[in-house]
Amino acid sequence: MSNYFYVSPEQLIKDRAEFAQKGIARGRSMVGAIYDVGVLLIAENPSASLNKISEIYDRIAFAGAGRYNEFDRLREADIRWADGTGFTYSREDVDARALANYYAQHLGDMFTEGQKPLEVEILVAQLGSKIRPTKLYRVAYEGTISDEPFYSVLGGDAETIRARFAAHEERIHPLKQTLKNAVDALAGPDRTIPTADLEVGILEDRGTRRTFMRLSDDEVSELLS
Amino acid sequence: MGLPLFDAHLDPGPSFFHYAETAGLMTPITAASAHSPHATTVIAVRYNAGVVMVGDRQATGNYIASRDVRKIEAADRFTAIAISGTAARGIEFIKMAQLSFEHYEKMTDSALSLEGKANYLSPIIQRNNLSSPLIVMPLLAGWDPSHQVGRIFEYDGAGGCYERFDFATIGSGTPFADSALRLGYRADIDLDGALELGALAIYEAGDNDPSTGGPDFVRNIYPMMVTITVEGFRELDADDVAARFRAINDRRTQSGGVAGGTLR
Repeated sequence: MSNYFYVSPEQLIKDRAEFAQKGIARGRSMVGAIYDVGVLLIAENPSASLNKISEIYDRIAFAGAGRYNEFDRLREADIRWADGTGFTYSREDVDARALANYYAQHLGDMFTEGQKPLEVEILVAQLGSKIRPTKLYRVAYEGTISDEPFYSVLGGDAETIRARFAAHEERIHPLKQTLKNAVDALAGPDRTIPTADLEVGILEDRGTRRTFMRLSDDEVSELLS
Repeated sequence: MGLPLFDAHLDPGPSFFHYAETAGLMTPITAASAHSPHATTVIAVRYNAGVVMVGDRQATGNYIASRDVRKIEAADRFTAIAISGTAARGIEFIKMAQLSFEHYEKMTDSALSLEGKANYLSPIIQRNNLSSPLIVMPLLAGWDPSHQVGRIFEYDGAGGCYERFDFATIGSGTPFADSALRLGYRADIDLDGALELGALAIYEAGDNDPSTGGPDFVRNIYPMMVTITVEGFRELDADDVAARFRAINDRRTQSGGVAGGTLR
């Protein structure tokens, strides 16, 4: 018979949280922000094909920070859930809050019962309509879900970036200003991020059913100029 | 329905159809034969800058079940899909195609090729038609952005997919619509020629086939006419369509009901 060492639940949770935080801190950060007519998602991402931001449904987008393989699997599950729900019921029954709750449950389960906690943070953004509000739901590695009013920061440097972002007034700006603030907050005072290293997606009404759009490097440069 | 997570070896990939089967979202197919309305004649004509599609609007059971069915829908910006056969199955089929193309795009961040879309539908048709008497026969047409041409794909009852380089017809009015197209089609046909020929083919089908609805001048319901070009899917507005069918009808009235050997 082997001997088991006693580990207090407090210690176990602390160890797991530290492990997850370290993993997330290795990746770069990202920002989600609400602007006057839409929602902006922006990530520092040197890869042009391994996306951190994705369309989920007509008015819902996803952003992930941390380990790519882990959040990409969650992104796929998210699209399947949304398309499956819309197929079974109706397109208007697909709600970002329900999605955020599923993420929270799954991340919470993995944190306490999994082999290892997932090293990811997730943002589910929803563009408002007549029947639903514009929302940013942030889901942390241990399953904590928070509903953020203006902007949300994910990833390693979140606290610093959040503080920089908060330096601008906490109110809704147009896209140009919001993008500028977000890039400034991501870069900090001593650094400029090349446009090619920015991945930018927006949710905005353009008269079509699908509202998600990626912004090209040129479009981003023009907005930042 | 919880969060649909799969182990790597069981993952259905970017195909919504395969996911829906795995997750049990699809209606089980049974051999029970129910009386259900049928949807009827649609044609597609390839012309020098795209594809024209025309479809009648009538659903027929033992009686006329509906007079304003839309049998042609945009599956995405550059693809149109038309149905004939059992209306209930056909509508589900269109929904499945639309959702699948969008699902693939979201999952992989790239659009399926037109040929990829055409082949993707084969097993879906096969699954339905080989296990149920509620047959559905689709027609797919689209603008192929990688080859810069309009293309038409038709299917057989078992799901076989065949590309047509001139025109294609589906539904019970096929013999009449197809005859008109065979006589009137030219390899260098232009947009206006294709629209006129397509409208005439549906007029003939509506005239001869009891399950195909012709232009309804009383209720102002006319067949659907769409074009798919480099600019995408576009439906002709109702006034334009009405004028085209009125012109055909006037000529036919003047000639006492016979085409008169001029295809007019």
